[in-house]
Amino acid sequence: MKKNQRVKFYFFFLALISGLVFLITFPRLTLPLGFSYILYLMIHPLASKLLRGNNQQRIVYSLFLTACACCLVIPLMATLFSAETDFRQLINHFPEIQLNLQFKYLQFREFVADKTGLKMSLDPVTYLMRKIETQGSTLLTNIPKFLSSVLEWMLLVPLFLYFFFKESKNLKIKLMEFIPNPIFEKTYVLASQFNTKFGEYIIAKFIEATILGTLVTVGLMIIGFPYPFILGIIAGVTNILPYVGPIIGVIPALAIALLSSNTNVSFLGAGMVYLIANAVDMLLVFPLLVSKIVNLHPILVIVSVLAGGQVGGVVGMIVVIPVVAFVQILIKEIYRDLNIQ
Amino acid sequence: MSYEQEKKEALERGDISERIDMNLLRYMWESSPFYLKESYHSFFRSLNVLQSLSDNDIRLFVKFLHRREFESGEVIFKAGESGYGLYFIQSGSVKIQTPEGQEIVNLEKGKYFGELALLEEGHHRVATAIATDSTVLLGIFKPDLDKMIESYPVLGAKFLKETAMMLASKIGGLQKEFLELKKQLKALEKKS
Repeated sequence: MKKNQRVKFYFFFLALISGLVFLITFPRLTLPLGFSYILYLMIHPLASKLLRGNNQQRIVYSLFLTACACCLVIPLMATLFSAETDFRQLINHFPEIQLNLQFKYLQFREFVADKTGLKMSLDPVTYLMRKIETQGSTLLTNIPKFLSSVLEWMLLVPLFLYFFFKESKNLKIKLMEFIPNPIFEKTYVLASQFNTKFGEYIIAKFIEATILGTLVTVGLMIIGFPYPFILGIIAGVTNILPYVGPIIGVIPALAIALLSSNTNVSFLGAGMVYLIANAVDMLLVFPLLVSKIVNLHPILVIVSVLAGGQVGGVVGMIVVIPVVAFVQILIKEIYRDLNIQ
Repeated sequence: MSYEQEKKEALERGDISERIDMNLLRYMWESSPFYLKESYHSFFRSLNVLQSLSDNDIRLFVKFLHRREFESGEVIFKAGESGYGLYFIQSGSVKIQTPEGQEIVNLEKGKYFGELALLEEGHHRVATAIATDSTVLLGIFKPDLDKMIESYPVLGAKFLKETAMMLASKIGGLQKEFLELKKQLKALEKKS
């Protein structure tokens, strides 16, 4: 390798590492940037279809999208209003749930004392309630900070999104010029693969979460379970996390079923609804939508989700799967090349 | 449907409006030397491949290309490496050689190489390519081909047909060479 080629090579890696360090050092900027990029990946396929073809085709496609959006607005607004009502009811029932929890704990303590003679001195229920109250007050004090960050995001996300739509092509060309010749082909192809897979994964998970959330809401409404909308939203959101998500999603419903004094609330019914919804997801939605995009070993997925959660919270847990899938492809490629050489 | 076909059909139907055709204006501007700093259009028109592509197709096609500059003696790819794309030589020259260093062919401006890598999954380069001069290459890679097929299916089909023809012409050449070698081998066998 000649001297100026070597300089190009070192400059590229230095720029790459500096960029990564910058992104890690400024999460306040990285998070809205990452979120905007995910939004861009989700909207871009629709936008490129909209801009393709002649004017007539564009008008027909725009009308079709507008009709779909109109059809979605009514149920979406109804869901949001119902979820808000559910949330208020849940808050009102909270003292009742607290009393039931304390009562059930006391029963359990007596049972343990009868059978084993052990006296459980610490009252975990009171501890839990105090913890919830402390967390609640911390949350209240953090509201101004949260609102300012929401305002910041409201300003930054559209700005970044506009930037991605307007400049992504030019930026891509400029960035590719920096890639040294010996690694250009592989870097370009792997980066394109990652981009495509990442976009497909995010869209697939979004659709999967919507389907599961809808199934849970409808199922809970049919059996007359309280707070179907809010529980449906929780089930949908938690389902984004692989393997652990469905288990986390079912906990609130089962807790309500166990602790509510309402006789209409059926533990078994709620369990069945979640079981059926997750079975539909596992047998139908996941194999059709997600499994073709990322094909990772379950153990690797769980370890990655835990590591992603440790590093980047909920966002890290979601993003880590396509990143690990990409790293797997990268390692395979490097290994294959080394073997051949 | 290509722009030319669209206009031809509209003309046949008598469906040409008197309004200024913005697409045509854009096409004319983008095809003009003011817009194209380096005339990719004249370069592709000078090749003996991609002849079925219309002017508008070429205008769209160049959007998928990557311009790469190589110094004299710089390795473009090595035998055994994973290959993903096809290169056109815009200027300079490229030497194709065996992994042992024996020269196979020296390609000049207007020639192309690496078409098999564009089509085959998990392709590994069978020879090494080295720039023998200060060289500019225009490369097109698998992700570009996928995007082209998705965004401009007619252009994608035309380009795939052209690539198939490039391969067919190379296979034809190889077959001739193979038959010639076989003939020579038989003659040698008879002699000995």
